Amino acid sequence: MMNAPNDIAISVKDLTVGYGDTVILQNVNFQVKRGEVFMILGASGSGKSTLLKAMIGLYPPLSGEVWIEGGNLVAAQGKERLALLRKFGVTYQSGALFGSITVLENVRLPLDEFTELPDPLKEVAALARLNLVGLGAAADKMPSELSGGMQKRAAIARAMVLDPKILFLDEPSAGLDPITSAGIDFLITSLHHFGFTFVIVSHELPSIYSIADRVVMLGSGAKGIIAEGKPEELRDRATDPWVRRFFNRQPDPGYSVEPSGNL
Amino acid sequence: MTLATQNELETDAEVRPDGRARVVLRGRLNEQTVVGCWSRLEKELKEKKVETLQVDVSGLGFCDAAGLTLLLYLNMGRMTPQATVSVFGLKAELERILRELTLEEHEAFQPQSATKSDTYVGRTGWKIGQMSRDFQEEMVFLGAVVASLPMSIFHPKRSRWAETRRVVELAGANAVPIVSLMSLLLGFIIAFESARRLAEFGAQLYVANTIMVVMVRDMGPLMTAILLAGRSGSSFAAEIGTMKVNEELNALKTFGLDPIPFLVVPRILAGVFVTPLLTFYSILMGVIGGVIVMLGLGFTLPLILHQLASSVHLNDVGIGIAKSAVFGVIVSAVGCWHGLRTQQGPSAVGLSTTRAVVTSLLLIIVADAFFSAISFLLK
Repeated sequence: MMNAPNDIAISVKDLTVGYGDTVILQNVNFQVKRGEVFMILGASGSGKSTLLKAMIGLYPPLSGEVWIEGGNLVAAQGKERLALLRKFGVTYQSGALFGSITVLENVRLPLDEFTELPDPLKEVAALARLNLVGLGAAADKMPSELSGGMQKRAAIARAMVLDPKILFLDEPSAGLDPITSAGIDFLITSLHHFGFTFVIVSHELPSIYSIADRVVMLGSGAKGIIAEGKPEELRDRATDPWVRRFFNRQPDPGYSVEPSGNL
Repeated sequence: MTLATQNELETDAEVRPDGRARVVLRGRLNEQTVVGCWSRLEKELKEKKVETLQVDVSGLGFCDAAGLTLLLYLNMGRMTPQATVSVFGLKAELERILRELTLEEHEAFQPQSATKSDTYVGRTGWKIGQMSRDFQEEMVFLGAVVASLPMSIFHPKRSRWAETRRVVELAGANAVPIVSLMSLLLGFIIAFESARRLAEFGAQLYVANTIMVVMVRDMGPLMTAILLAGRSGSSFAAEIGTMKVNEELNALKTFGLDPIPFLVVPRILAGVFVTPLLTFYSILMGVIGGVIVMLGLGFTLPLILHQLASSVHLNDVGIGIAKSAVFGVIVSAVGCWHGLRTQQGPSAVGLSTTRAVVTSLLLIIVADAFFSAISFLLK
């Protein structure tokens, strides 16, 4: 076990991710504090989702370590790895609800697989999580009957049903209208009060400003972090012009809509 | 009454004769201790007449999410439906969570069953209504296919011949090895089985007639169609079904392209073209299988060939090939139809594939019986 400071939930050390000879991220280092809403930002294709998937153990890294709540997920095997996996919940871009069972059964599934609780308690536990994300009324619906925003909320309910300490969310607001997106932000803020640590991949500026405590920004082509800090600080004081443009939603200076003559 | 001390949790439960009950929990209420506590509380409280239930948790040193769920369950009155329940002594932070977790009444939102009636007559009526709606949809599909065919024939430039060629290759050329093996073995089987029976009458030479008639008129077209239904009909359903799930069909429609001429017609044309060819090839391989067996039985090749040539007429071959063309239409159309009808969800494509194969097989047998009856009556 690692002697990590008590307020550190996740520690990423010299993480290099890629496949074959292609390196996507090289020697990435950062820490996520307990109870923090931490966001991973960056341009499309900069490796945000890859970093998230490496952090949750889906992509084995080429080298480096990911320490979650005092355990190294990269090295952990068997029961130790299972115990580490129970310390966090994950939601994916599409929601990834199982389409052949109801929303309630989706949320209940991890309880059925990993706990010995009596059935009525499992149902109440699943319903309580659904109620927390405002979907108590949709418990008996099939996932295909839910809107995109509702599916993402149901996925969050499923991710937290085993009472994890950390929630990883991959683009929770992508493809949603501003009101639904703000609803997801509100949900994250509310759940934050329950003591969850959030790691969120996003490039939705309104969400970043409203909920992020701290962010890291991955550079396009940089294979790593180009900025780290509070979003407002990076917007106003970042040394990298690309980072400032990102936070101020400005195009690249070379970007042009003049006809090139090739058409 | 003191019930037990389970691991690190102490549970006291008392039910007075006047209906007042009191539960006191002390120690650690976690995922492990909840299970034992639950079964003991259920045993103690469930059968009793409880009017008020007080749950004292001031002695709890630790309570995790599973423990909180138990308190929530008690607080909602699920264990004591008639009772007024109060949970007290909870730490302020946990009390707030308990309050926020309080459930909406989800029973009020049970989904409406698609079957409105539970009576036998009602269910039968609903099923008949469903079948008539299906039939209506099938006719609309058939009409759309028939309406699209002339365009492909009279305006060949607008047809998707590249797609048709691709399907011909997939469903036809790539099926040659499996058709070869199946038909050759079929020829062996028919020859061996009939040789034993015909030997009893000293008529083993007629094995050639049996093979020729059976392969040309029935087994050749039928087995080829069954193979195509399993191999290509299912693939059509899965391919088009996946396109539907991925909203590719909607993309086609918004381009102004009708999926019927775009996807279905090329497959039906390929089916009509490929099935007779494969059937002809299947007959050939089956007969070769039979000839090999007859050579083994000691007959000479010229004698076998003479016997084969005299056993069928040209119209037998015509019926066999005509059948196979119809089977080709059935396999392609049913595969595409079930692909287009695919619903949403991960099991939808699998369901469409299964339905496509089963429906194709059923319709092939029905059509074969129909052909047999017609050819019998015409003679």
